[in-house]
Amino acid sequence: MPLFKFSSFYEKARNKEIVAGLVLISFAVILNMVFGYFAMIFAFFLSFFKWDYIGQMQFVGLKNFQIVLRDLSRGLHGTSYILAPFYTGLKNILIYTAIVVPVQTFLAIVLASFANQKIKGQQFFKVSYFLPATTSAVIVSLIFIWLFMKNGFINYALVHVIPGFQPIDWINDRRYLLLAIALVAIWGTSGHFMVSFLAAMQAIPKEIYEAAMLDGAGPIRRFFFITIPMLRPMIVYVVVLGLIGALQMFDLAWVMAGANGGPGGAGYTVALDIYNEAFTRIRPGVAAAKSWFLFAIIFTTTYLFQKKYGRAIR
Amino acid sequence: MGKKTLYSLILVSVLLLGVVAAGCIGGGGTTTSPSPTTTTSTVVKTETQVQTKTTTETKVQEKVFVRFAGWSAGETEMKNYQKMIDEFEKENPNIGIKYEVITQMFHENILASFGAGVAPDVFYVDSAWAPIFIDKGALYPISDLADKSFIDKFYPFLLEPFKKNGKLYGLPKDWSMLALFYNKKLFEQAGITKPPETWEELEQDAKIIAEKTGKPGLAIYLGNFNRYVPVAVSNGAPKPWFEKPEDASWFDNPVVKETLTWYINLYKVGKVDMENQGKKPYVVQPGDVGAGWLGDAFGKQEVAMVISGNWMIPFLADQFPDFKYGEDWDIAPLPAGKSGRATMAYTVILGINAKSGHPKDAWKFVEFILGPKGQKDLVVKAGQTLPSMKGFENDPDMWPQHKKTLSFMSQYDNVIIFLWGPKSGTLEGKFSDAMAAAMRGEMTPEEAIQTMKEVVQQELSG
Repeated sequence: MPLFKFSSFYEKARNKEIVAGLVLISFAVILNMVFGYFAMIFAFFLSFFKWDYIGQMQFVGLKNFQIVLRDLSRGLHGTSYILAPFYTGLKNILIYTAIVVPVQTFLAIVLASFANQKIKGQQFFKVSYFLPATTSAVIVSLIFIWLFMKNGFINYALVHVIPGFQPIDWINDRRYLLLAIALVAIWGTSGHFMVSFLAAMQAIPKEIYEAAMLDGAGPIRRFFFITIPMLRPMIVYVVVLGLIGALQMFDLAWVMAGANGGPGGAGYTVALDIYNEAFTRIRPGVAAAKSWFLFAIIFTTTYLFQKKYGRAIR
Repeated sequence: MGKKTLYSLILVSVLLLGVVAAGCIGGGGTTTSPSPTTTTSTVVKTETQVQTKTTTETKVQEKVFVRFAGWSAGETEMKNYQKMIDEFEKENPNIGIKYEVITQMFHENILASFGAGVAPDVFYVDSAWAPIFIDKGALYPISDLADKSFIDKFYPFLLEPFKKNGKLYGLPKDWSMLALFYNKKLFEQAGITKPPETWEELEQDAKIIAEKTGKPGLAIYLGNFNRYVPVAVSNGAPKPWFEKPEDASWFDNPVVKETLTWYINLYKVGKVDMENQGKKPYVVQPGDVGAGWLGDAFGKQEVAMVISGNWMIPFLADQFPDFKYGEDWDIAPLPAGKSGRATMAYTVILGINAKSGHPKDAWKFVEFILGPKGQKDLVVKAGQTLPSMKGFENDPDMWPQHKKTLSFMSQYDNVIIFLWGPKSGTLEGKFSDAMAAAMRGEMTPEEAIQTMKEVVQQELSG
């Protein structure tokens, strides 16, 4: 009897849809609940406690946030980077983001518009531009460490291209380390975002270009007055994703600069600091407080950007 | 209608449960203890006697599982451990060992597993991490389980860092100490007949070698506070110990100021300033000669001297078989300071989880691994490190290189264990950063010392 009822229930098309739908989304929803929302709520809870993983949690109120603020104020007063790690990480990551996001977005648009042309072998270029996005960031950074060495390929090439160029010790010089990491990030992500732009470009109606051509607009004017404005929603999307990714950068710095951020702490990031706080200094509460600071920064920057540029589309 | 909704609800919840279960099995890893309780061992009841016609009674025997976590020095070590574990399980059929190798971020992983309530029963603890585990009561006092006669077999200085309030919290599985490794051929070319006896001679010899052979005489790491400590202690400074903010005064000691400046200047003057003047450096760091670490730089014969530990010996034997101990290179004790000789010792204990459900069984295993047989098979024969138990000094299976480092023991006035108090790891990292910055010339030695003082005050207050 019950079996019969089950099958009759399942046979009904509407029910089938409900079951299938719920089952299909459940995977993503559950993973998100456990590793997303639960972790977020736990981090919020943790930021008010002192804990060492082994003993009991101790409620300390806003003390963890105070520790972060003190770190920031020490940094603003010009203490050594060793004594103000969060400030150092924040400063570095803001500089890094300011370099990476505009350049990678611009480069992605340029690459996409080339890939969108009917050039011979463009399929090859599309694949080779996208290839970095399929490679693990750790492997990419290891390869780049090798390329960036003092007697590595990048210096070799620069010496031959620029007359009188002195080889730079990219990785071991605090003046160039962050720039080297930024270059790797740009190399790795531009191709990925190129695909997004390519898709958006192919969605632009041909008629607009044809009309412009009739009015006598050349390729450069068509690019700046048609392609760019029509890509605007995609640019907003790419910049927002880029901001989120860049502000959270961990893997490249971990490999290229090391856990302590390399020479002069030049490659230290907020994410590295959160990790060190949680697992080297064994202060998960402070790490959680720092995570909330980082979240606030990411949230406000992306929100402001969305508000300013994202709205006009609709 | 109502019935239908009920059915659909039941069906959906069953499906969801299935998905959750599948997810847990797929990605969970260990499924032995699904509840987040603190007991980590599982008790499996096995029916040892199959019911027969004559007996209706079934005997139930309990088999205990002990989870053992360590890192690995390579494939061979893992195999050696597995062999010992198999032997132990044969001798103790009631105890099963689950060997878990954590290759990276070992202590971070163990801490996190404590946080989640699934920490292993027996695990490695590096001396620098020991206070965190001991102070928080994470380790079971070994002195409550072991016979005094067993504990007395170990080198007493190796036990000091693991004692608290008269109790011992772990026994070392092996240890290593620093020694001076020198390249005999480069010494000969430079006309130096014997290894340096004092720190001044070390620097002097490095200069002579650089002049005569063109190769830097000495390689050191940028930073690395622990490699500097023997210089301070051998010149009369107390052993560094940082427990409260006031302990930062260690850096006010004139001996510390003088020796730390000297150590920083080894590289600052010996490399940075020399190159700025267009001269060949006499002190380098491994990266400067295209090497990954000191052992690599020494093995490639890019430098004449390094101060490193026993771990370098198997590396040289394995990677540079043509670079022969005795003929091409030799080992000497660390140079002496104004008040004798000092060296660093690095050790790892086997700790027992205080919350383990089976401390007695765990101890049985620990005793087996650390006992004479374990020492011989896992340490002496493997040739990676030194045995922590006394009595192997003249063992025929001990590598001659290791034997030589052990023979220096009588010359040292101080053997310092790598441990600077409850925050050793953090302090070591930050001290090293400050030292490295000064070595590169980004700050003066005085600024570095001041920063190190402030690091102590900052890390230990509150």
